[in-house]
Amino acid sequence: MRPDAKKARRISSRAKKATFFNIVGLLTLGLLFPAASLAQTVKIGVINSVTGPEAPIGENLGNGIKLAEEDLAKEGIKANLVWEDDTGKPQIAMSAMEKLATRDGVAGVVGPYTSASANAVAKLAQRYHVPLLVPAAAKEEITRQAYQWVYRLNAPANIYAQVLLDAVTEFGKPKTIAFIYENTDFGTSTADAGKKYAEKKGIKIVADESYSKGSPDYRSTLTKVKSFNPDLVFMVSYVVDAVLLMRQAKEVGLRPQAFLGGGAGFTTAQFASEKDISNSVLTSTQWSDDVKWPGAAEFGQRYRAKFGKEATYHAACAYAAMMIMGETAAKQGGDRKKVREALASGKWNGIMGEVKFENYDGYTNQNKHPMLVLQIQRGNYIAVYPPQFATAKPVFPFPGW
Amino acid sequence: MRVLLQSAASGILIGGVYALVGIGLTIIYGVMRVINFAHGELLMIGMYLTWIIFTWLGVDPFVSIVFVIPLTFLFGAFLQTTLINRVLNALPQNQILLTIGLGLIVSNVVMLIFTSDYKIITTGYSSSTLNFAGLRLSTPLAISLAITTVITTILYLFLLKTDTGQAIRATAQDRDAAQLMGINVKRMSVLAFGIGTALAGTAGSLISPTYYIFPQVGGAFTLKAFVIVVLGGMGSVVGATLGGIIIGVTESLAAVYISSGMKEVFVYVLFLLVLLFKPSGLLGSSRM
Repeated sequence: MRPDAKKARRISSRAKKATFFNIVGLLTLGLLFPAASLAQTVKIGVINSVTGPEAPIGENLGNGIKLAEEDLAKEGIKANLVWEDDTGKPQIAMSAMEKLATRDGVAGVVGPYTSASANAVAKLAQRYHVPLLVPAAAKEEITRQAYQWVYRLNAPANIYAQVLLDAVTEFGKPKTIAFIYENTDFGTSTADAGKKYAEKKGIKIVADESYSKGSPDYRSTLTKVKSFNPDLVFMVSYVVDAVLLMRQAKEVGLRPQAFLGGGAGFTTAQFASEKDISNSVLTSTQWSDDVKWPGAAEFGQRYRAKFGKEATYHAACAYAAMMIMGETAAKQGGDRKKVREALASGKWNGIMGEVKFENYDGYTNQNKHPMLVLQIQRGNYIAVYPPQFATAKPVFPFPGW
Repeated sequence: MRVLLQSAASGILIGGVYALVGIGLTIIYGVMRVINFAHGELLMIGMYLTWIIFTWLGVDPFVSIVFVIPLTFLFGAFLQTTLINRVLNALPQNQILLTIGLGLIVSNVVMLIFTSDYKIITTGYSSSTLNFAGLRLSTPLAISLAITTVITTILYLFLLKTDTGQAIRATAQDRDAAQLMGINVKRMSVLAFGIGTALAGTAGSLISPTYYIFPQVGGAFTLKAFVIVVLGGMGSVVGATLGGIIIGVTESLAAVYISSGMKEVFVYVLFLLVLLFKPSGLLGSSRM
């Protein structure tokens, strides 16, 4: 009995001591608190693909967010970021979102990168009432479900094709178009959006060819396309297939008024450096560092200096999204409901141009982001459309090989 | 008509490269009865060697086969003596596991060294064409078909006319009998695996000016080589040549007249038909 009583006394004395320190601690905190609230700390969740197959692009988003963190600090906002890795999988993104919403108590979430993850997380944002700002996922459905808590900065997938077709119908009067695209989710959905819009614009679809990526020989497909003599050739493909397609298009002597490149493969430095075959190709993107949006050029320079590579549109989207979320959350004191209202009514202007979340054409809280049409001229990407953002005149029609 | 001829022509050109991959696999199988599932990875090594020689030494990809052939031959001989030789009398599934494992190790080591980035070799003639009777033929593919023809001719002559070639064929026909006749079958196996590897490496070199290079590129070619070899008859060099050309032309015509996305389906339907009606392959009965 005795030793037990002694132990109990010891424990209670330790508890007293602990309570004492807690009180002192609380008092100190209380004294410090006004200072802390002046520095404005906001807690924001980030869901990104840090590992897994999407990691190379996830890295760009992460870098953009790190630059935003620095810039928020310059504005006197201390962004306390909670980083979550979804490894590119929707189910992991969902558990990350649950953790951020319930355990970490974040004021808002920026991310995830992939369309599949973003779409899964959007449902949870709506359920847990957490403002979610999607920086770069393209799937249209994400902002078409009337979710009040989900915002998207970038333009959805169908705009990739639309802006290209808008541009060429402005440059000339093409009447026929051929589609060549890889038979993946990305390829078919981008091409489908293109086909719908082409019909609306009164351009006749003369060839509709899907291919399985990684094949060494597209010559027969291109020969077939050439036999229809299309005014426009629209291709959707990943990095290196784009180079093969253009090389072999040159081989078979395909010569439309313009080559249009949808997405990934046509917007890489590697593609542009193949000057023989990349010249005059038109492609669409969310952002480019030579566009006249405030801070875009500086962002490109800073990014290159800090990370040693070119800033991609993913990085710019993530940067702008984090700046908007950080500033809004700080202004509203981290209150989720107020943050949501402020996102819905606010207006920003930065490296992504003017940002305003609107409801239109079945979209909810979707930024009407104007996509850019770039043309490769002597190995460089030059903005040629829309006119207000253009830095050079387009070369149209295609001058030949 | 022009579209038909044009696509048949490009089918034959690409089929020439397929044939070279297939011949390498069929020689290895013929002599050792080992199905080499790392064949595509050996081709990938040829591609990376070509890329290194091209970017660091500035040697043209087609000239680089002068280095690639001996290097890949030695690598193949090394693999045979250290690994494959140990499983020659083992169960077939053990041999398959060994070559599959070897392929995985090779592609992952290459990925560690060169990362998974795509590499592209750009030469002055990468997208140039030759005009031949109104058809546009890809210059690099035409050159590679010419080189393939020369290499296969030399290989036939070697196998038919020289003593060593006959010894290899004897080993392929009956390993025990060949050994009784005083042929060093172990050395013939080393030679055969070396030649097979060198052929895969050469195919890698020949295809690299028109294709792209990454560590996982081998898988698709292993599968294709396997189809070619079974189509032509396991162990038959002439069969593999024929098989390669047939696959190339089928792919090309299916892409034009049916759909580019479906061209592989037709290759495998053709493959299944041959297996159904002539299970030993087109030239299956004659061995080499």
